Amino acid sequence: MLDLTQNYFKLFGIPEQFELDAVALGSAFRELQTKFHPDRFVNSDDKERRLALQITGFINEANETLKSSRLRARYLLTLHGVDFNDEVDTTHDGLFLMHQMEIREALEAVENDDDPLARIDDIAQEISGEADALKDDFVAMLEQGKLTCAKEAVLKMKLFERLCQESKRLTEKLEDDLF
Amino acid sequence: MALFQISEPGMSTAPHQHRLAAGIDLGTTNSLVASVRSGVAETLEDEQGNALLSSVVRYLNDGTIVVGKEARAAELDDFENTVSSAKRLLGRGVEDVKTLGGKLPYNFSSSDNSVPQIETVAGNVTAIEVSAEILKTLKLRAEDALAGELTGVVITVPAYFDDAQRQATKDAARLADLNVFRLLNEPTAAAVAYGLDQDSESLQERIIAVYDLGGGTFDISILKLNKGVFEVMATGGDSALGGDDFDHAIAEWMLDSAVKAGSLIKKSGDASFDQKITRQAMHEARRVKEALTDAEQVEVNLVDWNVIITRSDFDKMVVPLVKKTLLSCRRALRDADLSKDQVHDVVMVGGSTRMPVIREKVGDFFEKPPLVDLDPDKVVAIGAAIQADVLAGNKPDEEMLLLDVIPLSLGLETYGGLVEKVISRNTTIPITRAQDFTTFKDNQTAMTVHILQGERETVEENRSLAKFALKGLPPMVAGAARIKVTFQVDADGLLNVQAEEETTGAKSNIEIKPSYGLTDSEIEGMIRDSIDNAQADVEARSLREQIVEADRTLEALSAAMKSDADTMLNDDEIKTLLTARDQLISVKEKSVIAKDVKAAIKNMEKVAEFYVARRMDDNVKTAMAGHKVSDFASKDK
Repeated sequence: MLDLTQNYFKLFGIPEQFELDAVALGSAFRELQTKFHPDRFVNSDDKERRLALQITGFINEANETLKSSRLRARYLLTLHGVDFNDEVDTTHDGLFLMHQMEIREALEAVENDDDPLARIDDIAQEISGEADALKDDFVAMLEQGKLTCAKEAVLKMKLFERLCQESKRLTEKLEDDLF
Repeated sequence: MALFQISEPGMSTAPHQHRLAAGIDLGTTNSLVASVRSGVAETLEDEQGNALLSSVVRYLNDGTIVVGKEARAAELDDFENTVSSAKRLLGRGVEDVKTLGGKLPYNFSSSDNSVPQIETVAGNVTAIEVSAEILKTLKLRAEDALAGELTGVVITVPAYFDDAQRQATKDAARLADLNVFRLLNEPTAAAVAYGLDQDSESLQERIIAVYDLGGGTFDISILKLNKGVFEVMATGGDSALGGDDFDHAIAEWMLDSAVKAGSLIKKSGDASFDQKITRQAMHEARRVKEALTDAEQVEVNLVDWNVIITRSDFDKMVVPLVKKTLLSCRRALRDADLSKDQVHDVVMVGGSTRMPVIREKVGDFFEKPPLVDLDPDKVVAIGAAIQADVLAGNKPDEEMLLLDVIPLSLGLETYGGLVEKVISRNTTIPITRAQDFTTFKDNQTAMTVHILQGERETVEENRSLAKFALKGLPPMVAGAARIKVTFQVDADGLLNVQAEEETTGAKSNIEIKPSYGLTDSEIEGMIRDSIDNAQADVEARSLREQIVEADRTLEALSAAMKSDADTMLNDDEIKTLLTARDQLISVKEKSVIAKDVKAAIKNMEKVAEFYVARRMDDNVKTAMAGHKVSDFASKDK
């Protein structure tokens, strides 16, 4: 039986920090799955099968959370007692929001560029560079115990994630048109 | 068959309880069943030696149901009662069928039932029932071949199937009285069949692309294989693109060209003629496509029009369709965050991948020759059989574990007709996830929870899975209530949702039954009907037997009376016999119960007993006339 209340880092036996050893997470994840996946309980009784479903659901949720840098950051904050709903909560940093608008406008203008694919690759690179900077920011703030600032970084990550999806969607569309 | 069976190293020769299990590939065009026997996974064949069962079911007006090749052969003449490609309709609603329906020759009943009903002479049937007939046929085949009852099966589904389509597949299995161990994604099954997990020791990690072009669906899956564990990194494809569409493209070209050449014009406009010609064109298109796999050119015939088509003409026609599949491949790679050169193996699945143009284009795209060693028609069933064998517990030491992802995002309707994703696609399942919601009006006591599946942002553009009301919320100011909605997706990809108001504990728990799926009671009803039908079938058969028996008795009587009634019977006796005869004729013609006919035959025989005895005596006398007893004795020697 697995403790379904334990923290995700402990579950996989990896250090409780933002920096992630993806290989260690991956192999711990597979090890747990091999043990608890519902396929291992096909011939067991209903109770055991339900349990297996619940346990693997927990393992998968934990894995999805730790795999994503934004969700991992948010989870670390939760462990520090900072709980928030990032669907509702958002950053109020005016300069940051202004910059987001600029990138958005740049994305919208890509279609009219001479070489739209090259242009969008540039923008995507800019987005990922700034997103990386946010991660460093988050780690620094968390280390200094500035939790409100760390939370601010997570909220900003979410906005970058949206931009990232937007640029991906646009790339696909451009490629489809050219294909 | 070998006289001695050589056991594999490590395989126990001691008798152990082997649980019979099978893998079923329930396909759009063909279906197969396979099982692991003596350590080898192989497809099981019917009495004629065919592994492929045509996924076609024909309904006759006496209630007989014909499945397979025979039904396929009747497709042209009896298209209204012959259902093919039912898989395309599985889990689809009446609205979906309107868009698909243009291509389908059936008459859909205009009932208000949310599950589309196809009108046949044997009554209305759903795609679930049609699929159940195919599954029943395969179940019988497997149980004959394996000489025992199946403990369970693994049924494959396209990776792209949504919740409703998976649920419909499971419902069909339930109707066919099959225990489903697991629904398995077809591409995953194919990778298992190639045993790509077996030689992964040397490589740390292996990326496999499975290109599956079947009769009615296209799937691309990107799998990651690591120490015997399969993970589906990404899936993509098109649930309405397949080999059939290649046939359609060719058939359309044929019809256009024929009309342009001055053929077929005189009769076009006549709906029933058009329908028949379209079917003929489809058949011819399929033949042409198959012939061009080996031949460089082939002659095309459609009624009074014929022409030579070369492989390059053909390729030109179908390249747009191939390109469409390659686009999906790009998407799936992107979803998996991989580039083409990171892919180690490309597995080809589905009969349509025999087309040289497809092998070539797919090879070009991935920059490596695709794997084509296994029969592309059988590879999925074989993989499913291997998985079924493991799940049945026949390989306790087997480490193989298949991890799957959810193919389409699940979400909830929020304010303004928008969809908020709760579980995004490609999340590993099973998964449980909760989301908090709140009321948006003061004193709101009820709330509708609308569950959707798909990638789009608005409600209309996604598939509605279910809608339910959460009632009895305590009156509070807007935003004060905390409603927790929990989604649980099991290993088959099927969803269960629970909603709870956290401050009061008002609960609502529902099994997700898609808005256009069958309810449990409808399925129970169908199961009951099928049992009744099975009994009715037995009854009908014995009635037919008794009628044949009655005819034989009547014929014997009339032949006897014709030859000697005047010499052997008096008028009264003749009258008695004729009365009994008329009685039997009347029962035979009117009765629908075998037992009654049997009783009437018995009665007839009883009445005629004296006549039979008299004739027997007479025969013996005639036979012995002029002989001595000693003659008979000597004959014995």
